[in-house]
Amino acid sequence: MGEVIVITSGKGGVGKTTTTANLGVGLALAEKKVVLIDADIGLRNLDVVMGLENRIVYDLVDVVEGRCRTKQALIRDKRYHNLFLLPAAQTRDKNAVSPEQMKKLCQELKEEYDFILVDCPAGIEQGFRNAIAGADQALIVTTPEVSAVRDADRIIGLVEAGEIKMSRLIINRLRPDMVKRGDMLDIDDILEILAIELIGVVPDDEKIIISTNRGEPVAALNDGSPSGKAYRNIVRRLLGETVPFLDFYKNQSFLSRLKRIIGLS
Amino acid sequence: MRKYAVEFKGTKDGVIIFCLEDADFSEILSDLQERLQKRADFFGDADVKVDVGRRELSTEEKKALQDVIANNSRLHLSAILNSGKSKLLSASSAGRQRKNELQLEGFRENRSLVIRKTLRSGQYIRFPGDVVVMGDVNPGAEIVADGDIYVFGALRGIAHAGAAGDKSALVVALRLVPTQLRIADVISRSPDNSTLPDRPEYAYISDQRIMIAAIPVK
Repeated sequence: MGEVIVITSGKGGVGKTTTTANLGVGLALAEKKVVLIDADIGLRNLDVVMGLENRIVYDLVDVVEGRCRTKQALIRDKRYHNLFLLPAAQTRDKNAVSPEQMKKLCQELKEEYDFILVDCPAGIEQGFRNAIAGADQALIVTTPEVSAVRDADRIIGLVEAGEIKMSRLIINRLRPDMVKRGDMLDIDDILEILAIELIGVVPDDEKIIISTNRGEPVAALNDGSPSGKAYRNIVRRLLGETVPFLDFYKNQSFLSRLKRIIGLS
Repeated sequence: MRKYAVEFKGTKDGVIIFCLEDADFSEILSDLQERLQKRADFFGDADVKVDVGRRELSTEEKKALQDVIANNSRLHLSAILNSGKSKLLSASSAGRQRKNELQLEGFRENRSLVIRKTLRSGQYIRFPGDVVVMGDVNPGAEIVADGDIYVFGALRGIAHAGAAGDKSALVVALRLVPTQLRIADVISRSPDNSTLPDRPEYAYISDQRIMIAAIPVK
């Protein structure tokens, strides 16, 4: 029986789609059978980030409305034979799908696949309710900005009120240099407000933009980029491993690190 | 001394007669008669309400109650109330003791809502009594209580105590850093450069302004 994981954030532009694509690739690299569902009907992106846009024939709405079998709509990734994408419809809107239909679909996919990652649209309306409907756990993505953290808090509250049994946090686009200068929220500041388990911190990395535009998720490159490493670590934690968090402060002097640890700065 | 099955209480809305929760109805009638005969002059022709607790009275019983009051005093029976309040008058001596304690200075009986989780952005609590949160109240969350608000965690959202106008209401938190504080009709916001306090604090109204004081902890 597979696990359905929704990737959500409330706020737009914090990296839900990039996260979904990279975790999907990472899980596929770990020999898991993975389906990525783009639940952002009307504003689909995941297919672009995965570089699969030109292969779409059927989409999520076709599946729930019975115009095709689920298998027919699944697009096999061009690099990983055990990674599939169920794209969103672009010509419809969020109301084209109901939470019950999503639940049924997730249930069906769970039978055959190990992980079903649902890329949730921004917002807290119908699209969000559809995306979380069939999920077993949630990954909340936030960036170190007050507004993103506020929205993440709202989302965690809504997720807690539903049937999802576990939510964990991904802090995306952290800039250690800015944190060091006191210009950006630190991991601890965010965790103090959100108070949920942290599953990963992804540093800001311009390679992400390059790889996203090319349709090649950075987790696949294994080129030593810090973001790719961070995503692969999240994947290992999803699979139950205990992996230490990357040390973004390694360029600091011993004294300033010590100060951080004992809370002096 | 035998405890009567009824108890008189003067309030600003007139006299209320509370009936003991587990007393017999016949006992209530006879005790009421006895006490009214003794004290009828004292009450004069005020309005009186009878609080029968959680009892359901039949028409006959209501009539009997009315008759006893009419025949033994000049009081006007204005209403028969059903409140859970008379639970406090329950016969056990422990209950009676508690009632006595509650009348002491600084004791206040009120309904309360206990929330054993963190309130997150967008969550809104409205409660006609005291609210206790075992967790944080995050920015964007809001609590409106007619009574006090106690937060065993960091209060970062909006808290409105004494929302029905009680100026004696308090807002208490282990870390009091609210977006905005309101008590009764007084509003204040935290200073723009406020830092996280390192000790529990409480807010109260003094002279139409919200004041903050630390709770000394050893």
